Amino acid sequence: MAEKTYVEDIDRSMYDFRYDEKDAYRIEEGLDPSIVEQISREKNDPEWMHDFRMKSLEIYNHTKMPDWGPSIEGLDMAHIATYVRPNTRMANDWDAVPEEIKDTFERLGIPQAERKSLAGVGAQYDSELVYHNVQDFAEKLGVVYSDIESALRGPYADMIKDHFMKLVPPTDHKFAALHGAVWSGGSFVYVPKGVHLEIPLQSYFRLNAKGAGQFEHTLIIVEDDAYLHFIEGCSAPKYNVANLHAGCVELFVGKNSTLRYSTIENWSKNMYNLNTKRALVQEGGKIEWVSGSFGSHVSYLYPMSVLAGRGASSEFTGVTFAGHGQNLDTGCKVVHNAPDTTSVVNTRSISKSGGISTFRSAVVINPQAKNSKSSTSCQSLMLDSESRSDTIPAMDVKTQQADVGHEAKIGRISDDAVFYLMSRGLPEDDARALIVSGFADNVGKELPLEYAVEMNNLIRLEMKGTNG
Amino acid sequence: MNMTLNRLPSITWYWLKMNNGFMEGVDPAGGAEIKDQIPAGVEKSVLSMADLPEQQTGMGKDMTTLVTESKPQVQVYTADRDKEVSDPVVLNFDYQAGKRAVNAVFLKAQRGAAVTVVEDFASGQDAEGFAAVQTRYLVETGATLKIIQIQRLGSGYTFLNDIGGRVEDQGRIEMIHLVLDGGHTYLGVQSDLAGYQASLKADIGYRVKGEGTLDINYFANHTGKKTTCDIDAKGVLRDQAKKVFRGTIDLKKGSSGSVGNEKEDVLMMDDTVRNQTLPVILCTEEDVVGNHGATIGRLDENTLFYLESRGMEKEAVYEMMADARVASVVHLIDSQTVRENVENYLAQNLDRNLSE
Repeated sequence: MAEKTYVEDIDRSMYDFRYDEKDAYRIEEGLDPSIVEQISREKNDPEWMHDFRMKSLEIYNHTKMPDWGPSIEGLDMAHIATYVRPNTRMANDWDAVPEEIKDTFERLGIPQAERKSLAGVGAQYDSELVYHNVQDFAEKLGVVYSDIESALRGPYADMIKDHFMKLVPPTDHKFAALHGAVWSGGSFVYVPKGVHLEIPLQSYFRLNAKGAGQFEHTLIIVEDDAYLHFIEGCSAPKYNVANLHAGCVELFVGKNSTLRYSTIENWSKNMYNLNTKRALVQEGGKIEWVSGSFGSHVSYLYPMSVLAGRGASSEFTGVTFAGHGQNLDTGCKVVHNAPDTTSVVNTRSISKSGGISTFRSAVVINPQAKNSKSSTSCQSLMLDSESRSDTIPAMDVKTQQADVGHEAKIGRISDDAVFYLMSRGLPEDDARALIVSGFADNVGKELPLEYAVEMNNLIRLEMKGTNG
Repeated sequence: MNMTLNRLPSITWYWLKMNNGFMEGVDPAGGAEIKDQIPAGVEKSVLSMADLPEQQTGMGKDMTTLVTESKPQVQVYTADRDKEVSDPVVLNFDYQAGKRAVNAVFLKAQRGAAVTVVEDFASGQDAEGFAAVQTRYLVETGATLKIIQIQRLGSGYTFLNDIGGRVEDQGRIEMIHLVLDGGHTYLGVQSDLAGYQASLKADIGYRVKGEGTLDINYFANHTGKKTTCDIDAKGVLRDQAKKVFRGTIDLKKGSSGSVGNEKEDVLMMDDTVRNQTLPVILCTEEDVVGNHGATIGRLDENTLFYLESRGMEKEAVYEMMADARVASVVHLIDSQTVRENVENYLAQNLDRNLSE
């Protein structure tokens, strides 16, 4: 009798290690005005940012919890510490980073990656950046890559003020408001007009503290005729209490520019990942989202592209792997606000061992978006009957002069494909492993080689089976 | 009462305003006259709402409350066991201008029966009014029930068309919905594919024009093993028309071997129309296949260019293509009499639209 093919959970051992919060400063748990005041003082905020935080808290208190997605009942803000500062100052030399923190990032391969294939690296540990560096050649091109707090007080202060939470206002949803109130850390990137940065920048976010939240803010401004590839990675050790990640990413893509934003998300399975990402794309510009969602207990993650200029375009390529104890609600939103805009969405999701994967999307073509085109394809693979896989794609078309297509498929591993591969000489186990790996390859092939390898290691689809 | 209608089984972002329809201030009302033609092999009877088997419908609880509070006599049509009824049951709903009406119908195909029921909802061309119909059905083992709904209501009519039913082992429900005219239409359908190899085939053809709206919620609920559904919607939007289509295939745990397909093809004929489409698949079973697809757009430029080059006016091309889109669903009607009746109606409409 044939044994049912078993697909292993993602091997998290390389991410699941932790250090004590030795000498760290930890704000008390909960959320009230005094805590927000305290964070603002700790951050030495300019006055406008202090006021912004307080206003955001007010909005948070009056905004309802979302009831359309996965349950977040297990998240109790009264038991979340919204600010944990490691006992170090930000460095631009790994040797100046405390040993335990440096060791953390070395085990995650960040310094090695920086040496090999990155133009700059930012590394955040709990609520603060602990390392930030940009290579000389990128600096000479005029590329700015810094922590956002420094940028708030430096020559780019006005630019930050003009852009901070303008794309994702605190009124957007409850966790955008929370972010506005307690944000800390994150990166600011500025790419001047005409600069093509061929080598990526990377930020890595590590949440080490138990029962804490991470609220980093990423603000990227790519001026006209420029190019940037930004890579974001995140992970955390697993605890038996809830952790929260409510980051915010705001991307401004200038005329005829391209920004590729790649994310490999591998939070631990006690994490509530309620992250918001949004891009505003001007005439002829392009945003490319590459997104791998593997971790967290609950995810709400839908990068949004606002195509504001004529001929702007977006591509979203994503893979989501939901295993035991995970409810990952992922997808994207695209708003076509200008003529001749195009969007392409291509996603895969895999559910196993009771995991729940939901693809949720919205494509909105507004009346002014004449001659726009949008195409969405989402495929889901169910690996057992304990799991769940849903697709909920919405399309709202407000002009006749648009072409919108959508296709979706949910199913299991095709017996025909297995048979074909076996007829070419592959054992059944290998055939099934190949199919599952290939299913998720839409993201892998969009990543730089080093990261594609990391992603494949991350998935580790180990197949086991015998022929009957 | 205020009514939430056609709520999506699995809701999404509120800002899209696509999760459900909503009506304010709807009061219970008496029933409209139903003129029926009943062939041999079908029995007619009357029940109260309380006598009907429990059944969820596509439009939801508020609709059932409205119908229950209206206390209609439920018209029951039962096809005899193992009887293949060749002529259709025809139910003509005669809606008067300025009136309000709430009706309930229960269709039952007993074990091994095969029967077609035509529900023809009609009023004067520009009539105003409010009509609500709840049609429930039960398809017993090995039976086939075909429901053909033809809607040709006045441009001032608001129409709530609610359906819910259950299909048992190897039973089959086929539905054709033709929304040809009307003001504001809500169509809600829930089919519980509960039996082994139970199947659903649904074809929806619509043409919404003027300031008309169409709000559809179609729900195929797969609980039986090896169940199948095919939902195919084709439509045309003209003038300032708005339409939302929610189609859900729910492949529940235990429905192994099931296949669900749905697709929608929307032709947007004017720049002031709005189309919302939400094709959902929910899946808690491994051994199943679910597919959905949607294409939304304008008339193919090459087709338009060709027909204009053959001397046709652009507006005539549009009308002809709109007519052809709906006609492709009309052609699926088996009964020649019914089909010709609808084709004549479409032809008259086409002539009128071309002469305007």
